[in-house]
Amino acid sequence: MSIEATSPTPLKVVLVEDDVAFQEAFRTALVDAPDLSMVGVAATAAEARALLTGPAADVLVVDLGLPDGSGIDIIGEAHAHWPLCAIMVSTTFADERHVIASIEAGASGYLLKDSPLPTIVQDIRILHGGGSPISPRIARQVLMRFRPDERQAKAVETQGVEIPGSEGQDRSGVPNLSERETETLQLITRGFSFDEIAELMGVSRNTVLTFVRRIYAKLEVRSKTEAVFEARAHGLL
Amino acid sequence: MASSREASDARLPWTVGIVALLALVALALIVQARAGGERIVTAYLTFADTVGYQVPSATVPASVLAGGKVVRLPYAPRPLWAPSVASSPQRIATQITWFHLRVPRLTDDRQLYLYVPRWKSDGSLAIYADGRLIQQSHANLQWNGSNQPLWIALPHTTTSQPPRTLDIRLQHVRGIGGAFSSVWIGNYRELAPRYYLREFFQVRLTAFSSAAFLATGIFGFFVWLTRRNEPIYLLFFAMSVVCFLRMLHTFVGVHPLIVSDAWFGWITVNSLYCMIAVLHLFAARLHHAHQPRLTFLILANGAAWAIATLPGLLDPTLLAGLIYINILVQGLIVGLNGLRQSIKARSRFAMMLSVWCLVTLLAGVYDWSLQQNRVNIESVFLTNFTGVGFTLLFWYIMFRRYIEALQTATRAKADLARRLAQREAELTASHERLREIEHRELLHQERQRLMQDMHDGLGSTLVSALRAFESDRAGDLDAVAMLRGCIDDLKLTIDSMEPVETDLLLLLATLRFRLQPRLEASGLKLTWDAGEVPPLEWLDQRHALHILRILQEAFANILKHAAAREVAVSVRAEADRVLVRVQDDGCGFDPTRPATGRGLANQQRRAEAIGGTLHWEPSASGSCLVLVLPVEKPPLVIPRLGGP
Repeated sequence: MSIEATSPTPLKVVLVEDDVAFQEAFRTALVDAPDLSMVGVAATAAEARALLTGPAADVLVVDLGLPDGSGIDIIGEAHAHWPLCAIMVSTTFADERHVIASIEAGASGYLLKDSPLPTIVQDIRILHGGGSPISPRIARQVLMRFRPDERQAKAVETQGVEIPGSEGQDRSGVPNLSERETETLQLITRGFSFDEIAELMGVSRNTVLTFVRRIYAKLEVRSKTEAVFEARAHGLL
Repeated sequence: MASSREASDARLPWTVGIVALLALVALALIVQARAGGERIVTAYLTFADTVGYQVPSATVPASVLAGGKVVRLPYAPRPLWAPSVASSPQRIATQITWFHLRVPRLTDDRQLYLYVPRWKSDGSLAIYADGRLIQQSHANLQWNGSNQPLWIALPHTTTSQPPRTLDIRLQHVRGIGGAFSSVWIGNYRELAPRYYLREFFQVRLTAFSSAAFLATGIFGFFVWLTRRNEPIYLLFFAMSVVCFLRMLHTFVGVHPLIVSDAWFGWITVNSLYCMIAVLHLFAARLHHAHQPRLTFLILANGAAWAIATLPGLLDPTLLAGLIYINILVQGLIVGLNGLRQSIKARSRFAMMLSVWCLVTLLAGVYDWSLQQNRVNIESVFLTNFTGVGFTLLFWYIMFRRYIEALQTATRAKADLARRLAQREAELTASHERLREIEHRELLHQERQRLMQDMHDGLGSTLVSALRAFESDRAGDLDAVAMLRGCIDDLKLTIDSMEPVETDLLLLLATLRFRLQPRLEASGLKLTWDAGEVPPLEWLDQRHALHILRILQEAFANILKHAAAREVAVSVRAEADRVLVRVQDDGCGFDPTRPATGRGLANQQRRAEAIGGTLHWEPSASGSCLVLVLPVEKPPLVIPRLGGP
């Protein structure tokens, strides 16, 4: 991996996780990384909210299954309080439902809990450096969300994934994927890695990472806009 | 409840009809009671034999006041059965009958009218007031509208006064005709009620009803045109036509006819035969008794008379008396037969028609007597009224048929709706059952699939690890690798639960995404070459897991045994197959050598279960595993995975 710790001051990392074992592993991983420093740990949503009132961290890692609430809410609140903070959801399986919900709430990447410790550290660095991981399934899911046709209905039908505001509404303000971004997602669904995609598209790896980051941002904006549409449609706004 | 309502619905038209009839009769009686005028009932009668018809003179010749006799009006000589017949009206033996009437002294200086209830000339008519011609018939000789009462406005000038005498000249075939009713004289208020009442019941009513009957008959004809299998509509139409033809003579003839007397007489007399025949056929449609022999006799008799009375042969007008007796007999046969059959078949409509036919026959006997001057000629022809009755009866029958058809349609619709609802409920229930079974089956399959998968992979790995820890041989075990393997297993199981929707590349991409960290960790370089692949319609979750496991095992083998540095995965579509190649540059592998573990056998079985094949291609270095998958849905194969 090419991204190295260049920042003179270490990145401030906050972990929201109720599993003590993982907390330990995480702490251990960060001890060996001088460029990362753990500035806070929260085991519950309440603790996490208390942390959010404090000074902003550079990276926030959130587990979704908290004993007193949903990690998704914490991600949303963190995104509002700490707009510059890179938020990661920590997950065992990186299943698309949880990851997409997190990205829509404002996360820009995810961390696989079973990754070897050095990989965890590396993933945090990559995320903070602007690179977001994306699995083929998530790529496909994103593609489907940005395609306002019958495939959406089909997705709702077969997966029970609710895609709000998908029918005949004013979509002004809802961002669409660029051609390059769509191409990137399509290559991801066919199993190509970022390096291979960079080569196939004749761009640098960083450009591909930028594409993914932008796609995530658009997904978040889109979900918020659609929530507004939804609320309007139901007379809430 | 419904039947009583239907019954009351059926009675309603009758009630309305009877009330209307009673109101009409009451009105007629009131009008009649308010009428006045002077009635002249004596006349001085003289005859003169002639040949052919002559034009009447402008004034009354003096001869009419001598050699005659005083008679009472109405005067009606008995006609001969068969008067002499000549081929031309100018050679026929005729007679002039003169009636000389004295008018009672009237002091009324208003416009005066003459009203003559009936005249039966069978020839021409001329009327003189104070010796001067004031009115004469100008149409046909035989069919001259004699059923219509006369209404004559007397000349009313500065010098005129009520006439003192009236003379009536009838020139008619010798032996028939020459009958004349009493004469009324008076002003409009006195006489008009008498005239209009008779005119309405004797002329207008039959004209209206037969025209209305014809109109509905034409409607019936168009119904028949679209429903040819229901001849009753055609018979209804035929009945309306012959009734109209039969009734014509009661309301036309005052003005010249468009056909000759001979043809008009033929139509008028023979339409009665047609009426009887059609009535017989119509009743047969109702009581369903088909009597071909009787029908033949009726038609043959009618046809015989129709031919015999063609113009130029027998004159039906002059022979009407005889012909009507024949018609009465035939009508009696049809009426009685209809009554018998309708009682047998319990057909209400046929019985009503037959009874009415017999009533009409009685009226016909009376009318025959009137025609033969055997009853007071000032009375009216009753068959005109029974004819109206027939019209009403036919309307009623068609009305009931129509209402019954509507009710049947309504019932059929309700029945259909009920049956449809019932069938729908059944279908919904069976669909529900099927869905439930399907759902249960799906759950069962899914459970089977996961159980089998856990049993082969995760389960057995964890159990052997447990045994190792128990017997303190944990040191021999690469615990981390084993657990990672277990987590990978789990991830693939979870991946297999998400639908891939026929997209093989997405499935393989998912596999790569899962395995990449392990391959990277082992320093193995992966080349990915995913070509275009058609959608695989058969690729469901169960099949997806088989493919994932086959390739997972392949990678595990390469990692474990091959000592390879590079793996190349390529996906290619070839004709109706898709080839997934996994080529490594390791130490090679001999697939013919007996398998030690269950891995290879399981891979083969899984490939078989999804309708594909698995083989190893010869390779210069390392080994090359090829998974061949069909593009079309493979025949169903029961998987036999693992097991002892």
